[in-house]
Amino acid sequence: MSLPLNIDLQQILLHMLNLVLLFGGLYLILYKPVKKFMDDRAKKYEEADAAAGEKLAKAEALLKEAGDKLANAEAEIAEKAERSRIAAEEKAESIIEDAKKAKKKMLDDAEDAAQREKNTMINDARKEIAELAVEAAKKVLSEKAGEKTDA
Amino acid sequence: MTKKRRIIFISVWLLCAAALLIASLFAGGAQKNESIKETMRDAVLHGDNRISFFGIKDVNPAVISAFTVTGILLLVALLIRVFALPKFKTIPGKFQTAIEAAVGFFDNLAKGNSPHKNRFLGAYVFTAGTYICLGTLFELLGLQAVTTSGASISLPAPLADINGAIAMGVTSYLIILSGGIFGNGFKGFLSALKEFSLPISMSFRLFGALLSGLLVNELVYYYVGLSIALPVVVGVLFTAIHAIIQTYVLTMLTAVFYGEVSEKTEKPKKIRKDRRKEK
Repeated sequence: MSLPLNIDLQQILLHMLNLVLLFGGLYLILYKPVKKFMDDRAKKYEEADAAAGEKLAKAEALLKEAGDKLANAEAEIAEKAERSRIAAEEKAESIIEDAKKAKKKMLDDAEDAAQREKNTMINDARKEIAELAVEAAKKVLSEKAGEKTDA
Repeated sequence: MTKKRRIIFISVWLLCAAALLIASLFAGGAQKNESIKETMRDAVLHGDNRISFFGIKDVNPAVISAFTVTGILLLVALLIRVFALPKFKTIPGKFQTAIEAAVGFFDNLAKGNSPHKNRFLGAYVFTAGTYICLGTLFELLGLQAVTTSGASISLPAPLADINGAIAMGVTSYLIILSGGIFGNGFKGFLSALKEFSLPISMSFRLFGALLSGLLVNELVYYYVGLSIALPVVVGVLFTAIHAIIQTYVLTMLTAVFYGEVSEKTEKPKKIRKDRRKEK
């Protein structure tokens, strides 16, 4: 059967055979190895990207942790400072209280000593006055006795 | 080179060119055996100028061109595989970039048009694209072959022959059909069969596009007066541009139809159930 435009089934099949040969050859020799190389490289980059992402996430976590620790440390420092301030205030109050007590004791002691001295002095004065009175009475009596004798 | 020598060289060069131009115009070329009508008819039908295919059968010159192109391509691929590929680096050089760009272009074309099934398609469109592009540009080499009648002819592009174009169209259609069968089973097969006009349209699109360029070239070459400088422009316009455009068109069509027939369709029952649930 003669086909128009010089179409020849045998030649079509030859062309198809040629295409199949080219397809197989190019696929095995060039396309597959080049694509494998490109895919491997892409995979390598993806892995590197994933590893970098993981490292970044870890670093961010560490940074967050450090930030939290810093914040905690600051709070702890503030708490400790507050505690120290309160303790210092308490200690100062106790020192002041002790000082006040000591002052009061010293004043009381001084007052007692002064009172005791005052009492001693009064007693001494009384004794001296009494002695003087006795002396004076003795003198008066002796003078009166002398006068009676003279007389 | 001194100024004097340069002037002498340019003068001699221009004189030679002028002498050859005059000689070619007035020498009266070889006696033409066939008229322009016969030449152009032979360019379309390849009825007269035939070449022996290893002594088995007389075939159109395009068959020889096809096997020559395949041989050259496989040889170049082998050279790249043996000498260039082992030296490929993570950061590519210019040559490696060109190879990767070619493979990547067709691979992305396949992935873009057939996202679910594209491994085989990528390899096919790469082969088809390389074959169409370089096979068309092959015509520019002007490799000579001897016909059965003893005349010398310039080997044409493999796809400028209707048989070559039909082979390419039918092979592409078979690839699409296989995509339908492997991707969608019997439904895919039927879906691909629906596009029964595809091999014809693909074949004749290729044939028509490449033949138009070939005919214009034949016309230009037939007349000696037109064969100075003009063939360069015509050759570039009708060969190089056709090579790129037809490569893109055929590979794109193959990828689009392959993606269409191999795409898995959702079962309508599920949609109905979903709709009932929505209600």
